[in-house]
Amino acid sequence: MPVIDSVWKWFTDRWPFYPLKHLLLDEDIPGGASYAYTLGSSILAVIGLQVATGIIQLFYFAPTIDHAYDSVSYLRTEVPFGWLVHNLHYWGANIMVVLVALHMMRVYIWGAYKSQLTWLIGIGLLVTTMALTFTGAPLIWDMKGYWAGEVGSSITGTAPVFGGIMKKILRGGETMGQLTLTRFSAIHIVILVPALFFLIAAHVASFRTSGIVGSWNREKRKQIGLFWPDQVFKDTVVLSIVIFILLTLSVYYPAPFTGPADPSNTTYLPKPEWNFLFLYQALKYFKGPFETIGTAGVPTALIGLLALLPFIDRRPERNPALRPIAMLCLALYAGTILTLTIIGYLSPGYAEMPATPAKTASQQPPGAVAASAPSAPSSNAGEMPGAKLFKSVGCIACHSIHGSGGSVGPDLSEEKLKGRNRVWLVRQIRDPRAGNPNSIMPAFTTLSDRQVNDLADYLLSQTPAPTGTEKTSAQSAAAFPEKTPPVPETPVKKSVEAAAASEEKLPGHAAYTIGDAENGAVLFKERCASCHGPEGKGGVLNPGSHDGTVPALSPIDSLFFSTDPRYFAKNIDIYIQHGSVPEGTAPLLKMLPFGDSNALTQEEIANLEAYILSLNKIDRAALIDPGMQPLTFFYLAAAFFAAVTLILGGIWNNKYRHRCE
Amino acid sequence: MNADDNDQQSDPIQEARRKFLKIAIAALTFTSGVVLGLPFIRTIYRSAPVKKANWSEVAKLTALPQDRPVSIKFPTLSEDAFVRGHVVRSVWVIKHSETALSVFSPVCTHLGCYFAWNQAAERFECPCHASVFSIDGKVLGGPAPRPLDLLSHKVENNTLFVRWEEFKSGVTEKIQV
Repeated sequence: MPVIDSVWKWFTDRWPFYPLKHLLLDEDIPGGASYAYTLGSSILAVIGLQVATGIIQLFYFAPTIDHAYDSVSYLRTEVPFGWLVHNLHYWGANIMVVLVALHMMRVYIWGAYKSQLTWLIGIGLLVTTMALTFTGAPLIWDMKGYWAGEVGSSITGTAPVFGGIMKKILRGGETMGQLTLTRFSAIHIVILVPALFFLIAAHVASFRTSGIVGSWNREKRKQIGLFWPDQVFKDTVVLSIVIFILLTLSVYYPAPFTGPADPSNTTYLPKPEWNFLFLYQALKYFKGPFETIGTAGVPTALIGLLALLPFIDRRPERNPALRPIAMLCLALYAGTILTLTIIGYLSPGYAEMPATPAKTASQQPPGAVAASAPSAPSSNAGEMPGAKLFKSVGCIACHSIHGSGGSVGPDLSEEKLKGRNRVWLVRQIRDPRAGNPNSIMPAFTTLSDRQVNDLADYLLSQTPAPTGTEKTSAQSAAAFPEKTPPVPETPVKKSVEAAAASEEKLPGHAAYTIGDAENGAVLFKERCASCHGPEGKGGVLNPGSHDGTVPALSPIDSLFFSTDPRYFAKNIDIYIQHGSVPEGTAPLLKMLPFGDSNALTQEEIANLEAYILSLNKIDRAALIDPGMQPLTFFYLAAAFFAAVTLILGGIWNNKYRHRCE
Repeated sequence: MNADDNDQQSDPIQEARRKFLKIAIAALTFTSGVVLGLPFIRTIYRSAPVKKANWSEVAKLTALPQDRPVSIKFPTLSEDAFVRGHVVRSVWVIKHSETALSVFSPVCTHLGCYFAWNQAAERFECPCHASVFSIDGKVLGGPAPRPLDLLSHKVENNTLFVRWEEFKSGVTEKIQV
């Protein structure tokens, strides 16, 4: 085509296409092409994939703390192939760290760091990659990302001299908030990504200037291979495998929904991303005044060692067999990081807790607790048996002690101070209506005498907190004056009346948020199971109600059920937000307005809804508009890859094989 | 192309092998490009599903003037992608009698600007490209491709309810979006 030719000539006369192509492709490889050299170009290609999936996510992402999580959830469930884009970005980030680590090890073993500048720029790329994974996770503003950002920026703050300033710049203030999210997204997208591009260009230019290092074997080096197409072919093969692995991970192991960020939810155990686990674990060995060594010293030393390497080891020898000390150092360095990562992975969480109270005490249904809890030796030796019962029996769902627990019933932090004694407390637990005929508190008649006594002991042992909680207790004292019975007569009645007209009530924010069913299960045991039964199976008696029992949630009444998780969540959300009164003459138990009273946060309600849906075999995070079902897509992609490989094999066999032998 | 302009070119075995390698590179790159590229395009190029609108309370019938267009603002509950909340919308309402009303979308059918009522000239005028509509919504002039969009409405207990819907601008048919 003469037209295309002349346009092409016009272009190449004005733009250095051939010199650039020559610089990038025409390179001799001493010792020939090798699959060992494919890691760098795989990293480059994965970066390209990260950029593409990152841009697409930006088409849907809202960097605000009230919508970031919902916007990513929307992309993942309601936009065609949004699940693929997000999961590729998630796994791409993970695989990038792996590829970078492998690439560095390869360069170390081949002694290629001896070109010095390329290695130094490479360390800059390593730090940038780690910074990208650090700033990327909080952008979703889910539980995992929130805590990664919170703890990571706190650690930055402990660095000497500039730590405080750095933390303030990162967070946009002293605490985590909207400005933190805005800044993390700005740093992730418009600072780190351009920095990455710049460093890659510098890395490749430096690498091309010093030439491809190639094999260390002198005999083998005489045989010269070509970068194009010999090495590029091997690069493409490895890249195709990497892409196929990414597709497999995205389809079979999608990124989890860890629920919207809610720092007040203490049942969640935060942990850093796996690629920061070694630092997190190292930090644990430096306590008190030495903490700065762990937070700032260890990373600086690790990076410093890498940077000094080409200046410490200046011998030209590159054969690993003749560099035993260097190989030992690599084993020590990589072994330490790997060991710390594994220990960190197996450890419980940021705070070194023996076990979470939520996961031990409330594991069992109320009935089982009644039988076992008092006699079983407590896992936490210092904790009173009543303290465990307070959570497991469900008191905590309505009452709080020193700030933790529900706000439907009165705060019980200062029962002794209020002049309550054992007799009064036991009667209140056994028969709340004896003291106040209007009490909505259920009568806990199934508890043994010993359990009731344990609860009374626990309540009477509470001493007023010095500050902080004083305010809350003053508030609750105002709401429930001393002289009147301790049951909040007016406020609850009001909300119950309002909830009677629940058809007109609207769902809250929680209904539109994809919660974490796993955390919802923990919350359910603590806050809901005492009335709705373990795992929502129901069976708890509710005298005075039409049904006689509290409604089961598993299986749930078909009135609420929907196969569309969005409608299912909305249906139950109205009741969790605003409460309801069961039909009947004088129902003992009523659904309390957990949302309206702030007894549960919207994030906690979202997690509970995800759990209740999962009890009814509905996935809250089900794909509404996947574009194509992930499995179908995977099979199609696999078939396409297989077909192309087979065709290439056929072409090789029929046309080229005999010519090359 | 001059990819092979080096001393290796002379070797026919290497030449054949490299020719195949180039085919393989192209084929594998193409495969990855299709497998990833097509879904990515689909993610960006999509039209959000048409949302079924609910009835919104707009005005008391007695408060409306006779045979004169009035712009009325009213709150609607909107669910827009992942954002949900109250959004104030406006409509043009003309009361012909106690039972007959016209409710116009305030959006010009040309390019989606909000038009206004010119009382002196007794016509609707769009400020963007000077489309002009009569009181019954017919195009009197300008580039508008179709008459003003009527919104479905109902009257219950002397109260006007409207269903807020939006339509594609710039086309001759009224297509809900």
